Amino acid sequence: MRVVQYLVTLIVLLSLNFLLPRMMPGDPLSCLVGDPGADAPILLTEEMRENLLEYYGLDKPLMEQYRDYLAGLVTGDLGWSIYYNAPVTSVLLGRLKWTLFLSGTAAVIYTVLGVLLGAVSAWKRGTKVDVGLVTTVFSLGSWPPFFLGMLLIIVFSFKLGAFPIGGAQSPAAVQAGGLAQVKDVLHHWFLPCLALVLTHLPGIYLLTRNSMLSVLGEDYVRTARSKGLREFRVLLRHALPNALLPIVTTIAMRFGFAIMGAMFVEVVFAYPGMGTLIYQAGAARDYPLLQGGFLLTMTFVVFFNLMADLLYARLDPRARFV
Amino acid sequence: MNDLMQVVRGKQLASGGLAVLVTFGLLAVLAPMLSPYTPTEMDVPMQSPSGLHPLGTDDVGHDILTELLHGARFSLLVGFISASLSTAIGVVLGLLAGYYGKLGFTIMRVVDIFLAIPRFPLIVFLAAFLRPGLWTLALFFLLFGWARTSRLVRSQVLGERASGYVEAARVMGAGDPHIILRHLLPSTVPVALSRFIVEFQHVILAESGLSFLGLGDPTTKSWGMMLHYAFQYPTIFISDVWVWWAVPPGLCITLVVLALTFSGFAVEELANPRLRESRQHCRDEAPSGHKATSTRTGSVRPAAEAFVGGR
Amino acid sequence: MSFVVRNRIGLLLLLLLVVGWAAGCTLSPGPAVVSTSASDSPSGEAVPSASESIVLTLPGEDWGYPSPFAFYSRGPGYIRMSFLFDTLTWKDEDGVIPWLADGWDTSEDGTAWTFTLHPGITWHDGTPLTAEDVAFTFEYFKEHQASFTWSWSVDKIAGTEVVDEHTVTLYLTEPIAGCHESLVGSLPIIPRHIWEGVDDPVKFLAEEAIVGSGPFKLVEYSKEEGRYVYEANPDYFMGCPVVDQLVFVQVENQALALKTGTTDYASFSGKELDAAQVFDGDPNYRHIDGPSFWVLQLIFNATRAPFDNVDLRRAVAHAVDRVRIVEQVTHGGAIVANLGVISPSVGWYNPNLPAYEYDPARSRGMLDELGMRELSVTLITTADYAREAEFIQADLEQIGIQVDLKTGDRSTVDGLLREGNFDLAIGGHGGIANPAILRVPTWPANSYVNETYDRLYQEQARTVDEERRRETVWQLQQTIADDLPVLTLWHPKVRTVFDHSKLDTWFYTDGGVGFGIPLSMNKMIFLGR
Repeated sequence: MRVVQYLVTLIVLLSLNFLLPRMMPGDPLSCLVGDPGADAPILLTEEMRENLLEYYGLDKPLMEQYRDYLAGLVTGDLGWSIYYNAPVTSVLLGRLKWTLFLSGTAAVIYTVLGVLLGAVSAWKRGTKVDVGLVTTVFSLGSWPPFFLGMLLIIVFSFKLGAFPIGGAQSPAAVQAGGLAQVKDVLHHWFLPCLALVLTHLPGIYLLTRNSMLSVLGEDYVRTARSKGLREFRVLLRHALPNALLPIVTTIAMRFGFAIMGAMFVEVVFAYPGMGTLIYQAGAARDYPLLQGGFLLTMTFVVFFNLMADLLYARLDPRARFV
Repeated sequence: MNDLMQVVRGKQLASGGLAVLVTFGLLAVLAPMLSPYTPTEMDVPMQSPSGLHPLGTDDVGHDILTELLHGARFSLLVGFISASLSTAIGVVLGLLAGYYGKLGFTIMRVVDIFLAIPRFPLIVFLAAFLRPGLWTLALFFLLFGWARTSRLVRSQVLGERASGYVEAARVMGAGDPHIILRHLLPSTVPVALSRFIVEFQHVILAESGLSFLGLGDPTTKSWGMMLHYAFQYPTIFISDVWVWWAVPPGLCITLVVLALTFSGFAVEELANPRLRESRQHCRDEAPSGHKATSTRTGSVRPAAEAFVGGR
Repeated sequence: MSFVVRNRIGLLLLLLLVVGWAAGCTLSPGPAVVSTSASDSPSGEAVPSASESIVLTLPGEDWGYPSPFAFYSRGPGYIRMSFLFDTLTWKDEDGVIPWLADGWDTSEDGTAWTFTLHPGITWHDGTPLTAEDVAFTFEYFKEHQASFTWSWSVDKIAGTEVVDEHTVTLYLTEPIAGCHESLVGSLPIIPRHIWEGVDDPVKFLAEEAIVGSGPFKLVEYSKEEGRYVYEANPDYFMGCPVVDQLVFVQVENQALALKTGTTDYASFSGKELDAAQVFDGDPNYRHIDGPSFWVLQLIFNATRAPFDNVDLRRAVAHAVDRVRIVEQVTHGGAIVANLGVISPSVGWYNPNLPAYEYDPARSRGMLDELGMRELSVTLITTADYAREAEFIQADLEQIGIQVDLKTGDRSTVDGLLREGNFDLAIGGHGGIANPAILRVPTWPANSYVNETYDRLYQEQARTVDEERRRETVWQLQQTIADDLPVLTLWHPKVRTVFDHSKLDTWFYTDGGVGFGIPLSMNKMIFLGR
């Protein structure tokens, strides 16, 4: 039943996916050629316009385009990106690996860190540690992400010269390959990852802390303590797993949204991720790429939602009959 | 209400947060009186801070301090309006969904779809249309805020229904409107408040993000727009201009978001007294006096999730 | 149990991430790596010692795969391609110079051009470049003219004739003014043996597509990272480039990149010139100032009320304080524009045009005479010109015209312009070094109709004699200044700042590179002088 639900949702989303880009005012041709601000003086006559529309199949009736779109989805052909002049699949994958690398690692880091810090905070409730943690975590994490990114660049890249100003790699390191390239990639990865971790940490931290607090008041914790078990064991073996239970769905769902959550950080650090891609595709009205990008994002989200629900059902027998 | 005051007085962070919010609110309201200039007045551009201009001037000569004060108006207003509307709609739909099963099913399917759509691509979509002004923005954020609120409110309602007093009331002859308004609605207040705060934060951060990308209305005086023009300026990285042009609006946004967070702690404690009372006992002592235990279990998850689930 | 489960879940997610990333790496094309030249150091060391080679890093972004059909026509993609491919003629700071063609003859009526090719030129794959390739190129571009948008005169190709291995004649349907810019000096010559069988040149992204005759070979292209890596072609017929490696990287802010040494060059125009000043007085950097080929305009919709009235347009011209806009908004990084669109740094500039002095009182008087008070109009623009829009709004309010300012992104604004759904718009364009830019679609096609103007334009497009052409071009500018289909605002000043220890031969090409790109990235710079 759950799966059917998700299928229906997916179909609705796919159709929206097709329609929404076409509902935006303008068409793919405005940004394809002659960006007057970009130095080259190119003008489109009506004739050229028609030629281009025909070339990209944009002059076909809407139903036919929709049919092509669905047929393409079934065969795995996501079409040809107008703005980037390459197959949509290759454009997406080229960016996806960087997004997964940046957002993925950041997600793992802030989840683990958030859970640990939240648990510690709950355990040391009311003490200086707790208040200190709350204040620090939130003070660092309430900045607008792009602003934080800019500050990091100004301080660490420009003033201190300790990190590169942006990008994913340096050309020299790409040529050198091997360990030098790995070190270079990490060097470029550090600041954007830091920005992402700081921004998302408060969420997980608070969630865990609250959940832990509820659990710590429960009877079975009292029982475990009175049995004489060491505090640490009580925390780790009894309290934390049960505290995580109600929030594991939220955490899993966040992984799904992580793909888009890095857009501002990507823009500021010129990091080649999905966030900037979708933004550019939208601005350029690149229908095939927008469709592909939305599809990918929504698949991720739906997939992680599904995982979250299934996970929760497996972990909590009470929830199975909801 | 008494509960709230008790909690607030006791907890410094929360009262600190509220104090900051009130301050910003006052600044926003009094902005025209406090500003040394009008926001559209233009002087010599790119001046550093001086007696004439405490925060200097921007790239076309607007006084930055004036812009900052007027920015408070816009940013707080758009946050407040969006958050109120989306919370209100979310609560109403959540109540209905929780109480009426069949209607609830349909509403939840729509909610699922809205929750599955990531916000930012849709921002790109919507920004394509003209006039990204205050009401368009508010409408846009409203569109996405209500879904999570209604889901959480619905969970809350389901939990309340399971605890039996709803049945009891119905048996005694209470009509549906009475039950919904008198019994269920008050129980949703903590969730609603949490969600209001979260949405407020969301909107402020998102407005600044949109403006930063250049998708906002360029003539609005908002903190986000100030940041947009600041970061567009060519020497923003290599000169010291960022200190008095970019930091003040960025700091203001952060402070408001922080203040909202800390105020939110008070709300949480309202929702989950267990969080409140264990503060009064030593860590080692077994928390006694479980005044409100099992009946409150249902509300822990929605409240906790309400606060951070949607980030 | 929950512990184990938690670990398992964690592992599963981690696995998914890794799989996803691996899939991305293997399935995506990744940076296109082409076989490097034979002059690679034998030990496999990638970067030779600094004293022996120059690696130049320049700012840029992804402008498409640099084949003659696949580069994005919206920006300096042409320049990326020009490093790999050559044209028959080229330009330096002073004008047209021979390139692939040592010399050329034109017939009396200007419709037949005979080129004599420089001998001994080879393609990157070793095949000799002959007249066959040149003839093939013109025929091929003509056949596929619907596939690209950056060459204006390809439709005027009538045919070609190969006279001998190094001589070829090109036949045109009519004479083309500025033929070097529009055709002969901008069309890249492509190898017949590679492009013969290609049906869809735009989607031809194979390695062979970038085999050209140019001074560089492409070693790496990463679309997502916007990175191009070029290596010098030691067998280049004009001599081996002094720069061994040319690298383009994507940067957020050119000034920051130059300052931190991430790049060796930065180009500033208009409002950006404030950043250029940071490098003044720093002995490590030198700069050159370039001609202005760009213009920002206030566009009237002259096809409908109220701006179909030329007197109203003139009243607006007196009401807008262009000097103040240039001062406050660009901080001196631009000059007040020539009302005839063509900037003073271009030879075609007409200095005798009428002026519209800033005089709001006079504007109000004119409006009174026209009986137009309390007008309300819309002004559309993108966020880039919001500042200018604010000033214009304030200026027009002073004379009683209420301006409703609407901003949108580029596609939205473009759409509205094409539909004619606006009263005023702010937009700009480049290419004003070439009078060909003055044809009506420079501003929205639906916003201004003038048959006399069209006739004049067609005439100058056919006039090969420079003096006569200049007369007509001056007339065109006069018409624009009198009739005001647009009110020009400013021309940006242009400056290149560079680290002169790396390379010192930068210059601005006369009339812009190729068909008019105003950047100082002429490939001759890398050949040394």
